[in-house]
Parts: sequence; C-alpha cells; structure tokens
Amino acid sequence: MYRQLAGATAMAMVLAGTAFAQEHDHDHEDVTLYRVFVGDHAAPRVTVVDLEAHDHEEEGHDHADESWTFETTGQVKLFGVAGGAVVAAVQSDDDAVHFFTSGISFHDHGDHADIEVSDPAAINTVLTGPRPFHLVDHGGSVIINYDQGGYAEIIDAHHLSHGEVEITRLPQSEPHHGFVARLGDHWLTTVGTPAPAEGKEAAPRPGLQEVTIAGEAVGDLATCTAIHGEAFSGAYLAAGCREGVLTATAGADGVVFDMLEYPADLPQGVTTGTILGATGVQVFLGNYGPNGLVVIDPADAPHFRYIELPFRRVDFVLDPANPAHGYVLTEDGSLHRLNLLQAAITGSAKVTEPYSMDGHWNDPRPRIAMAGDDILMTDPDAGLLRVISAETLEEEDTIALEGTPYNLAVVGGSGMTH
Amino acid sequence: MRDWLQCIAACSAMTFASTFAAQAEPLNVVATFSIIGDFAAEVGGERIALKALVGPDSDSHVYEPRPADAMALAQADVVLTNGLEFEGFMTRLIASSGTQAEIATLTDGIETMEEPGGGHYHYNNGQAIFHAGAHDPHAWQSVANAKAYVRNIAAAFCAADAEGCPVYEINATRYADALDVLDAEIRGLVATLPGDRRTVVVAHNAFRYFEVAYGIHFLSPQGVSTESEAAAADVAGLIREIRETGAAAIFAENISDTRLLERIAAEAGLTLAGTLYSDALSGPEGPAPTYLAMMRHNAGVIAAALDAI
Repeated sequence: MYRQLAGATAMAMVLAGTAFAQEHDHDHEDVTLYRVFVGDHAAPRVTVVDLEAHDHEEEGHDHADESWTFETTGQVKLFGVAGGAVVAAVQSDDDAVHFFTSGISFHDHGDHADIEVSDPAAINTVLTGPRPFHLVDHGGSVIINYDQGGYAEIIDAHHLSHGEVEITRLPQSEPHHGFVARLGDHWLTTVGTPAPAEGKEAAPRPGLQEVTIAGEAVGDLATCTAIHGEAFSGAYLAAGCREGVLTATAGADGVVFDMLEYPADLPQGVTTGTILGATGVQVFLGNYGPNGLVVIDPADAPHFRYIELPFRRVDFVLDPANPAHGYVLTEDGSLHRLNLLQAAITGSAKVTEPYSMDGHWNDPRPRIAMAGDDILMTDPDAGLLRVISAETLEEEDTIALEGTPYNLAVVGGSGMTH
Repeated sequence: MRDWLQCIAACSAMTFASTFAAQAEPLNVVATFSIIGDFAAEVGGERIALKALVGPDSDSHVYEPRPADAMALAQADVVLTNGLEFEGFMTRLIASSGTQAEIATLTDGIETMEEPGGGHYHYNNGQAIFHAGAHDPHAWQSVANAKAYVRNIAAAFCAADAEGCPVYEINATRYADALDVLDAEIRGLVATLPGDRRTVVVAHNAFRYFEVAYGIHFLSPQGVSTESEAAAADVAGLIREIRETGAAAIFAENISDTRLLERIAAEAGLTLAGTLYSDALSGPEGPAPTYLAMMRHNAGVIAAALDAI
C-alpha cells in the first residue's frame, strides 16, 4: 500500500524520568502516500483511490480494497483542508457541503513528520445553506461563503481535522459571490452590492473590507471592482479586480492594502479572476484572459509578467514540490510546464484528446492537481484518472473510474512511521 | 578603535587592489542574511559580488522569499547559509531556483546547543525512543563561533575560486585577528560588572551562545524562533522569573515588535534599556552596520544598563 523505505535514524541516547530509553538506531519506515478524491460530473459521488496502491497493481497487489466511494447530494468541488486531514466537498448547486476525513494525518516533530494512515470516512455533519461556493483555508480557519445567504461560515481547522464541525457565522452586508478570509488576527470579506432595481444591472462587487467577526466594518473599503478569486502566498493575500490585483498584508497597525494595477504592456480588456498562491516563493499565478496567465510578484516590480498560451486554458496548477513550476492544460489537450521565475513555458506534451472551451463553463473537462512528482488529471470523456510525470510530462499510469471523473483533490505526502 | 578600523579598511583595499585586476568576473555569492553577508564581504572583498537575501533589521525566522531571491540563487556560484533550520525558507528556495551553486553551511564544525526543551519521545512496542530536538541556530552570538563561520566562508570561496584563494585566506586571517580583539573587548566589559547583575531580558531566545561565552544570563518570553508568539502563561512565568532573578535590564530587539516587551517591562517595573541586534545588522546609519559594530553595540548597551546602579 505504501512506498516503504526501510531506514534507521541515528539518535542520541537519553534517559528521562521513568521512560526507558533505548539505543536510538531504531527502525522506522519512510512512507509516501497520496490519496486522490475525485468527484463525478453527473452523479452525486466521490471516489477515493490511493495512488501508491495503484502503482503496486503490476506487482500483484489487488487495489480494489483500497478505493472507497461516498455519496453526496450533488456535483462537488473538492478541497483538501486542515492540512490535508479533511477533504471538503462543496456542492454549490445543491446547497450542501460534505466533509470526509482523508485518513492521512501528519504530526510535525520539527526535524521530521510522522504519518498516520487509516481509511477515509464521511463526517456526519453536513452543512447546508444557500449556494456555498468559495472556500478559503488559511490561518487555522476553513471558511465557506454562501453566495445567496449573505454570510460565511467559519470552521476551526484543528477541530475539523478531528472530525468536529463547529460553526461560527460571519454576516455580510449583502449576499454575493465572494469570499471571507482570515489574515492573521484580521477578518476580510468581499462586499456585495444591493439588489438592483427592476430593469437595472447589478453593480459590480466594489471591493474588500476588514470586518470584525460579527461583520462590523473596520476601516475603509479597499476598492477592487468586481473582486473575484483569492489566494495566499507568503505574507500576502491577493485578489483579482478590474483595475488590477489587490494585495493585503497584516501590518503592525492593521491590514495594509495595495492595488497593483495592470500595466499598459499587458493585453487590455481582460482581467484576473482566478489566482493560485505558491508555497515556496512569495508569488502568485493568475489567469489573464482565456489564453493567458500572469505571474504576480506582490513585493517587487515588475509585479506582472505575462505568459501567452498557444490555446485557451482548461485548468492550471502550481507545484508545491518545485515552487518555480506550474502546469497548465490547454484545450488542444496539451499539458505545459511553466517556469514562474522565467514567466515562460518550458515544456509541453500532448496528454489527452482536445476539450473545447466553447460551451458552458461547467461542462465536463479535465482538472489537474499535483501529487508529489506527478500531475494527476481527470479525463472525463475517457473515464480515467491519468498519472503524468511532472519531470517528463509523459503518462505513467491510468486509473479507470466509473462515470465521468471531474473535480479532484489530492492529500498526502511523506512521513515517518515508527 | 577607529584608527584600527581605518587600518583594516586600508590594508584590505591594498590587498584587493593588487589581486582584483587579474580577475575577470567576480564570484557570485548569495548570503542568506545580513550578518553572514558581512562576514562574506570581509573575506571576499572585491573578488565577490554579494547579495544578502534578508536585509538589515529584518527577521530571517519569518522571511518569505521572493522570485528575485530565487533568480539570485540560480545565478550564484556560492550560497552561504547559517543552517540549523534558521533559514526555514531555504529548502524551498533552493528547490525553486534550481541552483547548481555550492551550498555552504557555516555552522558546520561548530559545537552547537540544543534548543531548550527540545526533543520528543516515541513509544514503540512499549519502549521510549528519544528523538533529539533542533539546535539553537544563533551561533554567531559567540565571537569564537564567528571565527568558525569565517573559516568556512574562506573554504567555500577557495573551493569555488582557487585562483582567489590566497586573497580569501589572507582576508580571513586578518578578520579573525579583528574578531580576537573584539572577543577580548567584550570579556573585559563584562568583567567590570557586579557579579549579581548579570541577568537581562530580551524578546526572543537568541543570545544563548553569548550567555555561554560571556556570562550574561538572558530571559525571554519567546523561544529560539520568532515564528511562535509567546503564550500568556510564558509571559506570566517570565515576569515571575524576572522578579526572582533580579533581572536588571530589559531590551528591545531590532527585528521584533516592542509592544510585548513594553508590557513585560511595565509589569516587572523596568524600562526598556535600549535595542539589541540579534539576528540582523542595522542599516548603514544605525549603530550596528557590521558584525564588529553589532557585537560592540550589544555588549556596550548591556554593560551600560547593568552598570547603572
């Protein structure tokens, strides 16, 4: 089931209290395990497979016992939260949020982390509310915005990692498609606009506001017209706006906002609305029009560097194991490696049949996610989960899944067992 | 002292002038933070092009690396790190940059101290197995250790630039002499203090090597890293300890917010006696723009505060 590397760790010999210390060259196992949660496009169902279990299939392992299926209310968008201990399944069209314990947990010991593995399981508590959508997991809080409810629900990530779902509700001035995020000791919410009079169009969401946990405004609204998309990297929260990208940091005297305006040398008439934050270097990757991406440096100029794609973008992801790299799938079925430092495509390979971006945004198209040194891609038309080497961009494996595999989330990593 | 420093500067300039003309390209050196950047400048002189990632008055414990840092690493010939998990960002940054540079860990060969309370037990088949804790990374706070840093830097530069090695070795020897003078100066200062006035308070536990080397006892509300905030219980315990030990002075740190220290000072009946430079130098206009100046400043303000009866 796991990739097991026998090893021995040299440790100092210590006696303390009544504990019996022993020779510290004790056996341990280094374990690497990635567990993949895949939501079906049509059926209210999440399938879970262990990536390493599949790797062992050729060695005679039967991995049928190492996959699990859970029913949901509707189509899910999946998020690994609480350090990967839990996967949240947000069902925007069905007003529900399910949670699953991933069965993989890590215990940090500074110089190493211990890994514990058990079966995934559904958490009994299911959240319901009008159109849950954006989920933000940062700073010890998992926050779900209810777009038609006019509030967000905050869950303590530590409690959630133990299967406990305790809710604190943060009210907003107007229901809207937005997000609430925690930045240090501060709470930030996007701001909606009142419902328009009959025959009028809705005004765009005007920006980002610091609030108390009771929803009371603190300080001035930070303008960010039609705010959409958020991500954290390093000390920064970034959000896309019509004017540019708004950043927020927690300063000694409160939240500091800064608007990074789109420069004139970027293609005009398009904006950033989906942003990913890197974990290794303080940098963001955002969409910019249907066939472009921007590398966003929140601290140093130039703040924006444009990457033009050969075809329209289907999905993109950052590589936590190699923070300079990202990957983007384009509608011709090609996967491209991006170097964020160079703001350039450094490799491409055909990985699936074409998926046109014409049609509805939620039509079944591939989604990608990272699992260590591999890129995982759902291939809805083929009914497959494809495992692609991040180094070579070549397919290493395929896992057949029932139905139409669509959104996915990956949890896991490497740790030590004793 | 000023004459001595001027002599060092002049001698260094002469040394560099005689050798630099023959060097086509300077050695690209990245130092992770300002203090080891200063060591590198002393050893490398004009033979190196130096970039320090974490600048003056900035905190390496919580630094978030930028794309420009990764690009600097990608172009580096030598990368100088403290090690001992001081630069928590470096593993990620090295991976991001794809650097081929030699990564020199400057605490190699130094007798380091374990973090207080470090380590943990695993219980395996009824047996307790101890895993040692992390080591205190602030080794430069002892001047004897600083000499080891300098030796390691010279070795790293020699490995990357054999032609310049004689220059690096001369510079390292000259700087080691200056460190010996500094060490004796600090010992002399501390020796003038009353024996019962050797305890002070500082924001984070960065001065344990200084404590062992020079005999000043430091209390602090935070551990060896600034990443974790001090718990209320730790602060209450610290105030009790201040009273019990008769700690005579409390200092701000250049890398830390002073608000917690001000609160502790008020509750303990002390006033802030100045600023210590722990994990970063000051800017050029400040009192600690070099390691030599930093250590003299720290020793000076500690001695002044403890001597002020």
